[in-house]
Amino acid sequence: MAGSQNPPSSPSQSRGKKTLLVADPPKFDLESYIQNYKGRTRLERLLHIGVCSTFLGVDALKLAVKEAKRGKDVWRYTKAQGDLANIGPDEPEAHRDQAWMDMTEKQNTAETNRLLAELNGYKHNLIKESVRMANEDLGKHYHAMGDLPKAFEAFSRMRQDISVPKHIIDVSKHLIDVAVEQRNWIAVTSNVAKIKSTLTSSVADEEEKAILPYLQAAEALAYFDGGEYHSAAVAFLNTAAGMGSTAASVISPNDVAIYGGLCALATMDRNELQKKVLENSSFRTYLELEPQIRRAIAFFVNSRYTACLQILETYRADYLLDIYMQKHIDEIYYMVRSKSIVQYFIPFSCVTLDTMNQAFAPPGKNIDKELATMIQRGDLTARVNTIDRLLEAVPSNPRTELQRGALKVTDDYSREARRRIMHMNVNMADLEVKSTKSRGFGQGFGGSDDLYGEPVGRELRSRG
Amino acid sequence: MDDLLPKLLAFPPHPPPSIPLTDTQYDEGIKSHISTVKGMADSKLLLRTSSGDGVLDLINPSINTVPYAFTLLAIITAVHKGNKNVDAKGNLWKNMSDFVSNLDPRQIRYLGAELGQITDTIVEYARSSNQIAAAVTPVTNSLLNYDPTGGMLTSRHLLLVKLSLNSRQFFDAVPVLDKPILYFPTQKTPKSKLLCNMSSSPSTYITTDNGFTKKLKYQEVLEYFLCRGMIYAGLRDWKKAFQSLEDAVSFPTKEGAVSKMMIDAYKKWILVGLLRDGKAPTLPKVTGNGAAKVYHVIAKPYESLAQIFETGTASRLKAEADVGTAIWQQDCNLGLVLHVLAAYQKTQIRNLANIYTKMSIQEVHSATTSAETGFKLPSVHATETLVRSMIADGSLHATVSSGSSSPSILTFLPPGTLLSEAVFQNQLAISTVQVKALTDEIKHTDHALTHEKDYVKWLQKQKKGKVINIDQGISGPDMDWQNDDEDLMATGY
Repeated sequence: MAGSQNPPSSPSQSRGKKTLLVADPPKFDLESYIQNYKGRTRLERLLHIGVCSTFLGVDALKLAVKEAKRGKDVWRYTKAQGDLANIGPDEPEAHRDQAWMDMTEKQNTAETNRLLAELNGYKHNLIKESVRMANEDLGKHYHAMGDLPKAFEAFSRMRQDISVPKHIIDVSKHLIDVAVEQRNWIAVTSNVAKIKSTLTSSVADEEEKAILPYLQAAEALAYFDGGEYHSAAVAFLNTAAGMGSTAASVISPNDVAIYGGLCALATMDRNELQKKVLENSSFRTYLELEPQIRRAIAFFVNSRYTACLQILETYRADYLLDIYMQKHIDEIYYMVRSKSIVQYFIPFSCVTLDTMNQAFAPPGKNIDKELATMIQRGDLTARVNTIDRLLEAVPSNPRTELQRGALKVTDDYSREARRRIMHMNVNMADLEVKSTKSRGFGQGFGGSDDLYGEPVGRELRSRG
Repeated sequence: MDDLLPKLLAFPPHPPPSIPLTDTQYDEGIKSHISTVKGMADSKLLLRTSSGDGVLDLINPSINTVPYAFTLLAIITAVHKGNKNVDAKGNLWKNMSDFVSNLDPRQIRYLGAELGQITDTIVEYARSSNQIAAAVTPVTNSLLNYDPTGGMLTSRHLLLVKLSLNSRQFFDAVPVLDKPILYFPTQKTPKSKLLCNMSSSPSTYITTDNGFTKKLKYQEVLEYFLCRGMIYAGLRDWKKAFQSLEDAVSFPTKEGAVSKMMIDAYKKWILVGLLRDGKAPTLPKVTGNGAAKVYHVIAKPYESLAQIFETGTASRLKAEADVGTAIWQQDCNLGLVLHVLAAYQKTQIRNLANIYTKMSIQEVHSATTSAETGFKLPSVHATETLVRSMIADGSLHATVSSGSSSPSILTFLPPGTLLSEAVFQNQLAISTVQVKALTDEIKHTDHALTHEKDYVKWLQKQKKGKVINIDQGISGPDMDWQNDDEDLMATGY
């Protein structure tokens, strides 16, 4: 939504696309939540919450309108204001401030022209450092206006006039900021790699080292949004401690804990979780910010799956209001859930479906269908008995398997051997299917007397 | 006439000598015997004894195969000429079918042309009296007795499959069809081997020179595989049909050429594969690359049908089958496609065993759809009937229990009951014998490949002329024979 550069003709249309509405009250406090971020992501997040949450919607949009008015992005202002007019038309912020919009647009145009003129002047005079800075200013300006492609272009142009390693880091950092907003994860990872190589090649001072958590988080976020949960988990878990607010334009330390924790929960087994998450000293600083994630993981490690899932369920509303999490939450929860079910079932040969329902199904529903789907997908090796209402382990019989395997091997072997003998004899008897046109080859006998068997290979090849 | 009999019965010596004849003695004996019998005039062979018996009434074809064969031929010629002194056809038919089912496999090796002629006459008679079905069994016997191993494909095999297909007399041909084809007739008779050596492979005595078979073309070989597959399909033996069609599909090709018959076989192969496994088959590794490409282009409708069968819904499968009706009809595959539609629900039911151990018929009913109509079966009862029929024909490993008041319950049994040790040992022993026999075939083929004179000559020529690729003789252009061959030998010994 933020990345789209073609604003929908009416704000309600973009609202129409969002089928997802979160009715449950989230657990966080809007003010303190948004304080974790700075820059344009604040507005993006507020808009997201405003559109999705029926509980916080009005408050969030009010904040969003105020936030937008502080900036230069007119399109976002109209969006926030339009959405607010839809759900809270009585709020004072719901009225369109046409005067502000006109003024801002005028100022924006003037500023763009001024910066472009300045840039051209520097270019004319071949002052490298000034050209670089002019491009940077222009990029920042475009970014603030919400013109992401132009911002990306301007920041990319800075690269031509780099003179010290610090500049490389600056350029890439700008590019990462814009690319994250565009959800252009390829650009994010490539720029992360660029900064990292700069950091290792040059003797980086402490100040430059401080950028590390930001880089790692950005990279992890790229994996996460691409659906590679295991890589994301590993990347988040490796994020160096001490992020503070250095990455606030992209991600907060709380997010690192949530994303990393959930990805790990979805993709790692119990030993790994214990070793890599709970005993990970650098990740612990993040995990302390979100104790419920820590608790959920601890419950999972201790085989208390129901408790673990309950915690996740109570926080579902929170995560649905997160701009990155919303798309992935169902998948991740499904993974955690099916892993829990599989783990739960491991020690048993037979469990009644009612017990399973108690442990995993929301009250009043049953998980029969879900179990069947899991078995079909191969996630769970078990069989359902709908008559006695049991989930049964698949009886394994190594002796039968061995017997079947042995007989199959001999069968396959004889068949394959026979086929090869036949093929060799085909060759000896000069019986291969041949193209009629290559008479010159071998003893080639004409196959053309039998229309039915006339080779069709040539024909086909010439057709294309 | 009475003085003729001792001459006719002179070989093999009766009663058998205490020390069996060596191969060389046997070879000499039978050769001179054949020339003696051949030298007799037909009229002599047609004479009757004083008691009115013909020669055929007096000699046993399983002991004195040679004179029996020549006498039969004499009668056949006489009948053709319209000689009135000869028996009516009824008797001749009986004599001929007696002959082919009882003849001595050792002596007949010397009589390839004669056996061929008699077999032809059988077919001719059956045709002329509009009863081709009657010829299937005698021809089957004739082939089985001539080559008990059944490994050599002859032109009479082709005759048999056509007879069988035309008369829809499938079952009687099966004993011949079950034998895997390993050899094809070639011209040369290796001089070192005597025909009567019972341990030598059929390729030593069935050659294009001795008159039983003519040299085959690849079209005929493919046609045999294709027809054999169709006969098995007619018998609903999907496994064998699949293997036979696969022989055609993976037939060696040169320079990417593909025969239309291979494509026909491929189309049927996909459908039969669905019927056998419930999923689309994958091409065997030895299939030529060129052929595989052509298959995928030309048999596209079949491949998409198979894909829908695996992943799609019944109604989509039905729709796809309906859309392609013209194609199936044109390829003569409509029957198989209908079978595939019928198999869809059965496969669904079988797959339920991967999820459930026990469920009510009601649940089976609501979980599966018939692809023949595209809808669920009209009633739970119909589903139960289907399930019961599947259990009865062995395609579903389960039991149905029905109480008087409660609905019927389907219980899936764990896959494959454990074989008893004795049965398993037995199975293994059979396999061992098979593999050992195969090892001999491998040795033989290997020998033929490396020592055969013409091969060596050909290889020399190839080397001298540096013509294209030396490997072509042994391998198709599509695979690395040599390596695979070596592996195969290594595990074989």
